[in-house]
Amino acid sequence: MSLLMLGMIYLYIGAAIAVVFLLFGLGRIDENAQDAWIFRPLLIPGVLLIWPLVLWRWWVLHKGEEKLDRHRMPRIRQERVQLTFIIVIPVILVTALVVRQDPTALEPPVLIEAPQ
Amino acid sequence: MTKPVEPFFVGWGKVPKALRHFLASFAAVLIVGFVVISYATSSTQTDTGSGAFMGQVQATGILQNNPYPILHVIESPQFAPGDTILLSGNGKRGAFEQAEGLDGQVVEAAGIRLDRGSLKGMQLRNGRRGLKAAEDQAQSLEVDVEQLGRWSVQGEICDGKCLNGAMRPGTGLAHRACASLCLLGGVAPVFVSAGEIDGSEFLLMSGPEGRAITDAVLDYTAIFVEVEGDVERHGDMLVFKIAPETIKVIK
Repeated sequence: MSLLMLGMIYLYIGAAIAVVFLLFGLGRIDENAQDAWIFRPLLIPGVLLIWPLVLWRWWVLHKGEEKLDRHRMPRIRQERVQLTFIIVIPVILVTALVVRQDPTALEPPVLIEAPQ
Repeated sequence: MTKPVEPFFVGWGKVPKALRHFLASFAAVLIVGFVVISYATSSTQTDTGSGAFMGQVQATGILQNNPYPILHVIESPQFAPGDTILLSGNGKRGAFEQAEGLDGQVVEAAGIRLDRGSLKGMQLRNGRRGLKAAEDQAQSLEVDVEQLGRWSVQGEICDGKCLNGAMRPGTGLAHRACASLCLLGGVAPVFVSAGEIDGSEFLLMSGPEGRAITDAVLDYTAIFVEVEGDVERHGDMLVFKIAPETIKVIK
């Protein structure tokens, strides 16, 4: 249940950030969004989920430290990533098959104490 | 001198000669691969069983709110007198809200039938259209409660609505998140036993005192567990009064 509580706290923080960002922040970092309000509620679910990223991007754009080359595809790592996936995905699948519970190993019910 | 151009495949263009063999073999491997993977995946899935939505139904009967709302049928065009029906609400909700204040009364229920083997259920229509006190409270039904002893049972904790046919599959690890959400919404937990007890493998779960047990079982949904408890027959439904401290995950 503590996981559920952590999730709730995360979403509450996200809700607070969504209110401030969508009301005051968005127009300052994106001039195309200025005076455009109708679409902003649509962003609420996304902000709830990725608010740390929103905060970070908000900070970077506010400081004017945006580097355009971040959009360049990180091709240099592509081959290594592909190779990793080729190894990791089958390993995950095989591990899942090995550790999963076996329904055929279940025992039938056992009467411990007959009714009084 | 110009550099030789490497053959390049474009979907709408003519296939370069040098790539024809590669494309043909790649397409063949892809098609055969899909067939093999599809077969391997589908053949290792557990049968989803016979649970299903079975159309509109109505019934008059005695409502029992503990551990979870169930209806002991007095008369119905679709159910037999004496049938015991597990009630649920719309979506991922139980029937507690609609059943409040009606415990032990003769009620009229309407909704959609859910059925899986010996487990009968009904997804109630919303509000009083789904469940209300009957005008004729004089009708009665003797509901037998029979003690069946203390049992140690292996199996899986599911939510009684999806298991009953609202979802396919309504059991198994793939259904774990849904089962947990349904239980949180008040749907009754049902234990699917590895074998039958007195003719049924489905046991409505309750605490040792016969009250709702949702919080204690939430961490164990959709995985195989072993648990001890007293089994009682209420009408034609088995109620498993578990001792929560005995729940253990089967390795």
